[in-house]
Amino acid sequence: MYGADVEQIAIELNEDPQKLADFEARIARGEKIEPGDWMPTEYRRQLIRMISQHAHSEVVGMLPEGAWITRAPSLRRKLILIAKVQDEAGHGQYLYHAAETLGATREEMLDALLSGKAKYSSIFNYHTTTWADNGAIGWLVDGAAILNQTMLARCSYGPYSRAMVRICMEENFHRKQGQEMIILYSQGTPTQRAMVQDAITRWWWPTLMMFGPHDADSPNSALLIRWGIKTRTNDQLRQEFVNQLAPDLQACGIQIPDPELRYDEASGNWLFGAIDWDEFWRVIKGDGPANAERMAARRQAHEDGRWVREALSAYAAKSQVQL
Amino acid sequence: MNDTQWPRYEVFQQEAEGKPVLHNGTVHAADIELALLNARSVFARRPDATQMWVAPAEQITSRTREELAADPPAAEAAGAAEAYYIFGKLAEQAQASLLGEVGAASGEAAVAAALAQFGAEAALRWWAVPAAAVLKSDPADAGPMFAPAREKTYKDQAEYPVVTMMRQLRAKANTNHKDTENTK
Ligand SMILES: [Fe+2]
Ligand SMILES: [Fe+2]
Repeated sequence: MYGADVEQIAIELNEDPQKLADFEARIARGEKIEPGDWMPTEYRRQLIRMISQHAHSEVVGMLPEGAWITRAPSLRRKLILIAKVQDEAGHGQYLYHAAETLGATREEMLDALLSGKAKYSSIFNYHTTTWADNGAIGWLVDGAAILNQTMLARCSYGPYSRAMVRICMEENFHRKQGQEMIILYSQGTPTQRAMVQDAITRWWWPTLMMFGPHDADSPNSALLIRWGIKTRTNDQLRQEFVNQLAPDLQACGIQIPDPELRYDEASGNWLFGAIDWDEFWRVIKGDGPANAERMAARRQAHEDGRWVREALSAYAAKSQVQL
Repeated sequence: MNDTQWPRYEVFQQEAEGKPVLHNGTVHAADIELALLNARSVFARRPDATQMWVAPAEQITSRTREELAADPPAAEAAGAAEAYYIFGKLAEQAQASLLGEVGAASGEAAVAAALAQFGAEAALRWWAVPAAAVLKSDPADAGPMFAPAREKTYKDQAEYPVVTMMRQLRAKANTNHKDTENTK
């Protein structure tokens, strides 16, 4: 449908053909679209959808690891974990701000999250059951996020792309502290090795699901690629992730829970087995191991912060009266 | 009560003395003082700031090169001249950076003055920010505002030598492999 020419797309999307052609020419020249520039309604809609989902993921993403701050095994690990969770809060803020430049309001975005209407990354609906899960999340989950975010740093919408550049820098700290932890434990005591193996066994498949449905089942992809929001598909990113992680995890002596995983000389890719998409859709639709718990925690946090928002607004109103 | 009525503020930041003042992103806040505090929490978690500015987004006049070509800004405006900071986006991938200051009686007149002073080709996009609307971090607060991030070296990815660690692991695996071969 979206390999079609601009005239046809203009009709389908009910946009002015000349404006749409100019807009697509700007993207083809590598220009960044900035707030206030003309853009198709569908471009704005898709960006608000993506950026707000991404913001929600950063915010909900604080919960699985945040639960371990009081149980970190050393002061160094505790400082690192606090800093990482704080970074994720900051990422949520960058992204909500970026969505606000498109006219989305904080209230509608938070309402959508708290009412369960908005999606966020399926990965955060799994429980963190041992300390090693923090290492697995850093190396696998933040590692997967970096691939996606490195692509989005080249995205055609200026504020989103600039937020991503900043986020990627910080995510590299997240990934590396996790990788360091997994490497050390994989060479540690039998208990540490078993703990790390168990963590990777549980997090491997949910991480592969993070990249989203196969390209054939991803209806938005073609338009997102045409307009320079995405430059690579879900399956391409997922393959690159497996190619990076499989040899490194094996070098650590860790078994990847996929009997079909093997290196393919011809393509240079690590081929992997079928993903359980039923599980993916179940978790996305709200029925994962921790969905209810995550939403309850977010609602409680929002309620607990109410008096702060009210005090800030009251203070601002009072100082305006005095002016 | 909710926080959606809060206005948006643009955030500008200078990484170090002598470096340019760059546009960094936006925050929203109940008032400009809180905007500066929010900007500090959001944008100064890494050791790369000596000062930070915030300005209400709605008071900024923004014009692209195309808009200016189609509709040149009027240089004349009624009223007294005031100072405007002029920011320009110099390249597609770049953040807007501070070019200098002009005096003008309106945002549009400030853009016209900027075109005359810096050249119409100097920037892809121009911003005129009324100097009176800007709140800058107090240099006396630079320590408490920006120093804590500097001590937290563990936030730097360079603290984690994972590439070397992986190389050592592989080397060890290879020697072990040779040892077993030899004993066969
Ligand atoms: Fe993040
Ligand atoms: Fe992260």
